Amino acid sequence: MGKFAAWVGYLIVLLGLPQLFDSVLAITIFNQMAIAIVFALSYNMLLGQGGMLSFGHAVYFGLGGFMAVHALIMIEFETVYFSITLIPLVGGLIGLIAAVFVGSFSTHKAGTVFAMISLGIGELVAASSLIFVSFFGGEAGVSADRTFGPPFFGVEFFQDVEIYYLSAGWVFVSTVFMYLFTQTPAGRMANAVRDNPERAEFIGYSARRVRFISFCTSGFFAGVAGGLFALNYEFITEENLNAVTSGRVLLMAYIGGLGYFIGPIIGAVVLTLMNSLLSNYTELWMLYLGMMFVLTVLFLPRGFAGFIMMHQTAWLRGKLSSLFLPYLITGTPAIMFGGSILAAIEMLHHEGEPFGFLFLTLDSGNTLHWLALAAVGAASYFACRRSLGQLNVAWEEANRMDNPTEGGPG
Amino acid sequence: MSILSLHNVSKSFGKTEIIRGVNLDIQAGERHAIIGPNGAGKSTLFHLISGKYQLSSGRITFRDQEIQNRPPYEIARLGLARSFQVTNIFPRLSVFENVRCGMLWQQGLGYSFRHLLGRQTELNARAIHLLEEINLADRADFPAGELAYAQQRALELGVAIASGADLIMLDEPVAGMSLSEAEAAVSLIRKITKGKTLVMVEHDMNIVFDIADRISVLVYGEIIASDSPQAVRANPKVQEAYLGEAALAAAGDNDA
Amino acid sequence: MLEVFVFSTLNGLVTGLLLFMLASGLTLIFSMMGVLNFAHASFYMLGAYFAYSISLKLGFWAGLLVAPILVGTFGALVERYALRRVHAHGHVAELVFTFGLAFLIEEAVQFFWGADTKNYQSPDLLDFPLFTLFGQEFSAYRGFMITISVGIFLALYYVLTRSRIGIIIQAAITHPHTVASLGHNVPLIFMAVFGVGTGLAGVAGVIAGPVLTTFPGMAVVLGSIVFVIVVIGGLGSLGGAFVASLMIGLLQSYAIASNLGMPDLLNWLGLEFSRDHPLNDLWTLTLPQIAPVLPFLLLVLVLIFRPTGLAGKREE
Repeated sequence: MGKFAAWVGYLIVLLGLPQLFDSVLAITIFNQMAIAIVFALSYNMLLGQGGMLSFGHAVYFGLGGFMAVHALIMIEFETVYFSITLIPLVGGLIGLIAAVFVGSFSTHKAGTVFAMISLGIGELVAASSLIFVSFFGGEAGVSADRTFGPPFFGVEFFQDVEIYYLSAGWVFVSTVFMYLFTQTPAGRMANAVRDNPERAEFIGYSARRVRFISFCTSGFFAGVAGGLFALNYEFITEENLNAVTSGRVLLMAYIGGLGYFIGPIIGAVVLTLMNSLLSNYTELWMLYLGMMFVLTVLFLPRGFAGFIMMHQTAWLRGKLSSLFLPYLITGTPAIMFGGSILAAIEMLHHEGEPFGFLFLTLDSGNTLHWLALAAVGAASYFACRRSLGQLNVAWEEANRMDNPTEGGPG
Repeated sequence: MSILSLHNVSKSFGKTEIIRGVNLDIQAGERHAIIGPNGAGKSTLFHLISGKYQLSSGRITFRDQEIQNRPPYEIARLGLARSFQVTNIFPRLSVFENVRCGMLWQQGLGYSFRHLLGRQTELNARAIHLLEEINLADRADFPAGELAYAQQRALELGVAIASGADLIMLDEPVAGMSLSEAEAAVSLIRKITKGKTLVMVEHDMNIVFDIADRISVLVYGEIIASDSPQAVRANPKVQEAYLGEAALAAAGDNDA
Repeated sequence: MLEVFVFSTLNGLVTGLLLFMLASGLTLIFSMMGVLNFAHASFYMLGAYFAYSISLKLGFWAGLLVAPILVGTFGALVERYALRRVHAHGHVAELVFTFGLAFLIEEAVQFFWGADTKNYQSPDLLDFPLFTLFGQEFSAYRGFMITISVGIFLALYYVLTRSRIGIIIQAAITHPHTVASLGHNVPLIFMAVFGVGTGLAGVAGVIAGPVLTTFPGMAVVLGSIVFVIVVIGGLGSLGGAFVASLMIGLLQSYAIASNLGMPDLLNWLGLEFSRDHPLNDLWTLTLPQIAPVLPFLLLVLVLIFRPTGLAGKREE
């Protein structure tokens, strides 16, 4: 029943968000999140569930998106006649077809060979898209108008919020199906092949076939995400199928946490927020994104979701509250240290002009500011280092098995 | 009636011939041990039968079907299961998932994405039952990679027999275990291979003479004897090539 | 026609040798540590930028000397304090880490040097035509690039085949565990190889910066091409990387210089298509247009039909 409640909660959050935040910016961000969630989940199906590292996943997203825009154009010129609510399905089918083709030769091996083929295909498709102007529209891309289709129960999708509700529906359905996939024999064997392709062959499964199925399913949902993109923006360019987009989805899934179904959702939400909100505050947000990514790989190899799940044992044993104070004691100086690093970076960036940083006004020309910053940074660094031992002790205490026969991680 | 037959099977790596024209018949229902000194090619023979390696020449039939050079998954589907000398499980899956994955194909679930595993009550009950048999029921939800060594070896066995195959090939199932662990493993092997055909490679002579109905001796890629334990022990060729006085004495002591 | 051919060959040779300087480090690192360093071209970019900053104060030659050392040191530190840590989480994590590092270095370069192209100049000393052929000049700087590249190739070859450390590295490529069990400090060797490999990329950056322009996107431009070379040449094979570098360099150079295309082919076949055919883009395709795609096409074909590459032995 807990799972059912979680799904209902997910649906309520998806549908309720525009009620809580109804500004134009908020709706724009929610639409981006919707696209990112489906895309990142589809990516995790490859890397997290199936152990296939792809550097060219945007190919399926982009091809789906391009075909979706063309479908919108066809609706506009009445070549075809169907509701635009089905556009993501068009994207999905194109993603699936592309994945069937590429997967037929790329899923032979996982590991480096697969990664390199995905990189090569990604570059090939991106470069070809600039050559075949009639379909891809060159650097300008192609655009369409979504409002020409037959109304869907009276809705004509003039407004972004209407598209959001449509997207939310698709996000929910896609999430449900992607989750259910993980619970099927094909989905479970994808995990098994990720862990140990050789053994999978000795219990009756062709590792290649198992990978191929995951790859195609993943391509389908990437295409669905591309279709959602086409609906939301009404245009698409080469950038949506090149290495930048492929890199971004890898970032989202990894930061969110690969091993967990919910990880990519977290990653998609966090990165979309950073993308839209942080970019309003600082020009350096891409630098911070890179720093966050590298730090995550170094210190949180299982991503944000992994960090949350680390506390499962303590929580089940009712000892989570005992971690609160140690976290506060170590966390506060850690955040202050991070903050002073960011302040220093910003001061270097705003050379010679005062600027607002949180509630302060900093000026790189003022030596006192530099000294104060250095003092805060050093003090918080040592405070953090000193309290780390206590945090470790508290952590061990909260997670210690009192009685080994009690068994099980919960 | 023989369930598995090898006819003139040879395997070379480059210029080195590892297996030289092996002929072997395994009878349905027997417990057959393959012994031989290190480097005799025992594991290679297993890899050839189970499809991991391609034959250089020869034929292998399993239940009257030719299986040589077919991919491992096709051979496994015919009902030939094997374990590995070095533990070869799915480390990030739970113990329960490990054995359940081993059962999927024979349950006809194949590559299905229309069935939900949670709904397969009979399959799940079977998996739990198998875990009880191999004494891992209380570790069902542990990631397999976090088990202790002997437990991982038990799981290795569990994954191999999960499919319900008729022919089970075990590659040094008790290697690296302590004496008491090995004893427990042997009784486990007896229990779970009841009514099936067993082919095993093992170094520990006590265990071999304890379990096996028949023994084949593989030396430098050739079978020099294939007979009952008593006959093998008495065979002068085997004594000369492999067993040696000391091992013979040890086996004799154990018998007494 | 002949002059186009000669100059394309020379230009292809310059590019190919430059690519090899990057590829050699990348393939050495791969064969030692089993990790494909996505950030390799970023070290090349750092080389160019370091050298640019040094050249402003002390001139080109100081940059050539100091920048690669700085880059190599930075590379060794990255290996010691980051890559080694990630190594515990497996190859995917390593690949993802270097991918993130490439991203971060590009952003950091923009932060410190800005997004615009830097006016990084070749030294005045080499600012003369080396020779004139068919009325076209071949600059001395390009000759210098060839000399440096060949010199490095020879030095590398000598070190790897003749010196003690080279023999250990060679052994570690084929039998990493044996080398470790023989008591060699493998982590230290790893750090050194990573440092030297990235340092070589730095040298490439220093000498390529003035010709290929020094800007924050220069790593991306070369990054995937170098990957392609290492894979085509066979992961871990120095000789394969050398052949593949020259091949790609020449291939691109010829493709750009030629003005052949589908129209010529269709003419030759006696076919004709109307301008507004939906596949018009295909009928009008020219070689210079597809030149940038060729390496990737080769990459995919090689991986499908010969995953070990032209000269590779190890697959993963």
